[in-house]
Amino acid sequence: MYERRRKRSIFDLMSEYMEEFEALADELMESTFAERPSWNTESCCLEPLCNVFVTPTEVVVTADLPNTDHKTLKVEALSEDLIEITAKMKRKMRFDDFGITHREGEFSSLRCQTRIPVPVDTKRMKISFKRGILEIRFPRKRGYEIKVE
Amino acid sequence: MSELVRIVEKKPIPSEATMLIGLPDVGLVGLIATSYLISELDLEEIAYMDSDLLPPVVVLHEGLPHAPLRIYGNKNFIAVISELAISARALHTVMRTLVDWGQTKKVKMIVSMGGIPIENRQVITEPKVYGAASSKELLDMLGKKELSILNEGYMVGPQALAMRYSAEKKISAIALLAQSFYNYPDPEAAAMTLKELSKITEIKIDVSKLLEQGEEIRLKARDIMKRTQQEMTHMKKSQEYDLPLYV
Repeated sequence: MYERRRKRSIFDLMSEYMEEFEALADELMESTFAERPSWNTESCCLEPLCNVFVTPTEVVVTADLPNTDHKTLKVEALSEDLIEITAKMKRKMRFDDFGITHREGEFSSLRCQTRIPVPVDTKRMKISFKRGILEIRFPRKRGYEIKVE
Repeated sequence: MSELVRIVEKKPIPSEATMLIGLPDVGLVGLIATSYLISELDLEEIAYMDSDLLPPVVVLHEGLPHAPLRIYGNKNFIAVISELAISARALHTVMRTLVDWGQTKKVKMIVSMGGIPIENRQVITEPKVYGAASSKELLDMLGKKELSILNEGYMVGPQALAMRYSAEKKISAIALLAQSFYNYPDPEAAAMTLKELSKITEIKIDVSKLLEQGEEIRLKARDIMKRTQQEMTHMKKSQEYDLPLYV
């Protein structure tokens, strides 16, 4: 009995919690990340690849927007923590172009929405577009300073 | 060879060929490069991998079913690709089986192609390609061919295991890794890798078509890139950014 109690030390429990947490994170990632099509025939949009990185001072959102003209690029803040990126494609694509013959539809734009995980100042965002990669840098909103005594 | 994985041979397999591996990884560099090479050299499908460790997926091409992990070849080359992101859990067994199988076919050398993630990739016009090798002699050969050497650091993923298992089996192995986007398909990096490949093999390929098709490839590769990104997270691929400890 004593042996069993000793085996489940605080480190074992932490390790178990971490494993559970990782499994939950995986589930969450899979449910939000991949299990929906990357196209929408109603809106004629393809969903581009998009990523969000949080640094101590900034939130950096990037999106891969090949085959688009930067003049048609639009970044819109839909709410405090949700932005939408859209860009028109230079050349429209159909399912045929992907070798798919059992679906019908034409795509003329790339569009994605992404959540900003921490408070940012959307008015001071900086946008660049190089090699078809959109990069948006949002300065993070500062909280309050804790005085060190 | 592992019992969990088997390689089913459809045609006679060449002996003493160079084996090229391009599995989904950073920027899909290896997969794009190897797929383009298969198409340009008109290699035919000679074998495929069957395994309970891989998802129950079949890929239809021109109406006919194919395994996602396939092996192509001619009398000089064997090329391995996967149209499916390989899970971190299956990767060890898959790579060990490929290297073991290569040994039974007396491959001359195993060359893995892939990417090295760099943060400012979008400002780089010509991605640099680095080489790593399984022996000192091969490293010297890469140096003589004026390839940049990956001296220190971590390698994670298919090319890391190809290198490790090849070294164990005393098979010559080289990894060619181009600076690339981490999680966006990078046909330009793939083209640079193929250019460097021509320095160490007899493969001479015109990459202009690959560069022309770059934007289209990036759109077509979105889904496999997304799933590969999930697997890279599981295998702690970001460890390649880590600085190694040498005391």
